[in-house]
Amino acid sequence: MQDESGRIEETRCLGENYYLLKINTPLIAREAKPGNFVMVRVSPSLDPLLRRPFGILQSDPPHIWLYFQVKGRGTTLLKNHQCGDRLDILGPLGNFFPELPGKKILLIAGGRGIVPLFGYAKTHAAQQPLVLLYGGRSAADLHLLAELGAMPLHKSHIFSEDGSCGEKGLLTSGLEKIITEQRPDATMACGPEAMLAALAKMLKAKKMENYVSLEAMMGCGFGVCHSCVVTAADGRYRKVCDEGPVFPLEEIRWPT
Amino acid sequence: MADLSVDLGFCRLKNPLIPASGTFGYGEEFSPFMDLDILGALVLKGIYKDARPGNPPPRLCETPAGLLNSIGLAGPGADELQNVIRHLGAATRTPIIVNVCGQDDGEFAEVAAIFAAMPEVAMLELNISCPNVKKGGVCPAQDDKHTFRLVKLVKAHINKPLIVKLSPNAVDIVAVARSAQEAGADALSLVNTFLGLAVDLEKRRPVFANTLAGLSGPAIKPLALKLVWEVCRQVRIPVIGMGGITSGRDVLEYILVGAAAVQFGTVNFCEPAAAVRILAELEKEMERLQINSLAEIKGKLQV
Ligand SMILES: Cc1cc2nc3c(=O)[nH]c(=O)nc-3n(C[C@H](O)[C@H](O)[C@H](O)COP(=O)(O)OP(=O)(O)OC[C@H]3O[C@@H](n4cnc5c(N)ncnc54)[C@H](O)[C@@H]3O)c2cc1C
Ligand SMILES: Cc1cc2nc3c(=O)[nH]c(=O)nc-3n(C[C@H](O)[C@H](O)[C@H](O)COP(=O)(O)O)c2cc1C
Ligand code: FES
Repeated sequence: MQDESGRIEETRCLGENYYLLKINTPLIAREAKPGNFVMVRVSPSLDPLLRRPFGILQSDPPHIWLYFQVKGRGTTLLKNHQCGDRLDILGPLGNFFPELPGKKILLIAGGRGIVPLFGYAKTHAAQQPLVLLYGGRSAADLHLLAELGAMPLHKSHIFSEDGSCGEKGLLTSGLEKIITEQRPDATMACGPEAMLAALAKMLKAKKMENYVSLEAMMGCGFGVCHSCVVTAADGRYRKVCDEGPVFPLEEIRWPT
Repeated sequence: MADLSVDLGFCRLKNPLIPASGTFGYGEEFSPFMDLDILGALVLKGIYKDARPGNPPPRLCETPAGLLNSIGLAGPGADELQNVIRHLGAATRTPIIVNVCGQDDGEFAEVAAIFAAMPEVAMLELNISCPNVKKGGVCPAQDDKHTFRLVKLVKAHINKPLIVKLSPNAVDIVAVARSAQEAGADALSLVNTFLGLAVDLEKRRPVFANTLAGLSGPAIKPLALKLVWEVCRQVRIPVIGMGGITSGRDVLEYILVGAAAVQFGTVNFCEPAAAVRILAELEKEMERLQINSLAEIKGKLQV
């Protein structure tokens, strides 16, 4: 874990409200694993006060790549940064998706939930069969398709709710069929809570290892403030920042 | 070089910088960012007798230059914390302060006695001021009589210095401060968080399950500084000031209004190495302002 002053070396706007940043952070990039995240100080002023959490899309030392959606004040400030600007970045934080050598894995990404799965796909696609299921509201929410297409993925399925990209529908509508056809050993998912809750329901009866990467409001990102808790299946709280963000799917209590 | 040491009467600290309870974990979480020995002292996260889950999420809401929290003192119980403290005591020479909580007066006394008996613990801080435990933010530090009773009881159970942490939500904080002093407090620390309300406009409900939450960070600094100034003029025992400290200048302001030392909390979340920077800034500012020792300016605010 490092608190590093990173230098922005590339900024890219991916259409409406989505941005890519390439940041020179040699110490963080060296340690980062797929699924880790960072806390970014979006402004040197005291307002906004808290850093914002972002997944590491990909790390190729000395750089890390962030992919983010503009939501509010913090992400608006972040998108306005230019090449050459510096950002205080704390990371790499949290755990990561497990290595499951030789296993066939279904990666399930809803919108910007692609972030932790992108790095996993990039690192593992050459060694084991990875099937990608990627969905969003419309083509405007689905990015990096060219980069994903260049990876030696076993298979990929793209869904959009309005049909503007890939198959029309929710990605969960394609899940049953893909599982029957592909028979994966494990799933790894990240996306909106409603999607994850639906997945949890659908995967419950299936004999697979299922992992999920979660989001929560974060104060510190490294385990000291206790603000980022989610309720686990046993009714106890888990801190997303240091006990996660990756959890076994069945370890979380999902809204019904 | 300027003399940064401060005198609390019952002990001397090499500098006035103390990370505040609940914002510095159990100390060792911060060792990747600093040598813990640079600190004047450190306060651990508040502890009860038994483990507590804390409040349901959401537990945090950002405000302009501030933070509303409703953590609800989640944490392990006293048994586990004793092990943590043995570890920490071996890892640092910095005085360790245990922040003592209780659901009733008896529990406060019991927990205080457990930690006062540990050689690794230098002193206790009695957290009678957490707004996030009882509904409506009620705590002993809102009432001078309850404060007197509680401090007296706890003092009877321990043989270590006791800092009593006050609430800014008391109607008359000076009265509570005097009560704590009369009951035998060795020092006071203030302030804990200010009660605040966050509203979810879409749902037309409060953001937090407990309705009210505690506000901290730079947003509260002028309010906290005023309370520290008022209390310092009315008590004989040392006062540890806090609320919104993020810089060396902030530290000097608190000393100038009369604080003997300071705690800094929320800044540790946004900048885990804050102590290192604040310490360097403090030295530089003292040099620039030609202040040779903190004792020289303590309580010297001219009004
Ligand atoms: C571990 C983790 C990894 C994340 N990775 C990414 C990523 O790779 N790319 C990306 O675009 N976003 C990611 N997020 C979400 C991102 O942190 C929030 O979108 C961001 O903090 C919003 O900041 P803001 O100041 O723009 O919004 P604010 O002005 O603070 O709030 C605007 C709205 O954003 C939402 N929001 C605020 N904070 C969070 C949060 N911590 N999590 C989820 N929603 C939030 C709320 O609905 C709020 O109403 C991640 C969050 C976590 C916890
Ligand atoms: C997340 C959080 C947890 C806290 N937990 C405790 C606690 O356990 N015991 C306590 O006495 N004060 C606790 N506090 C209060 C702080 O110690 C401090 O009094 C307050 O935050 C004001 O200082 P600041 O503005 O520098 O943060 C907590 C504050 C925050 C933000
Ligand atoms: S964000 Fe502070 S403990 Fe998780």
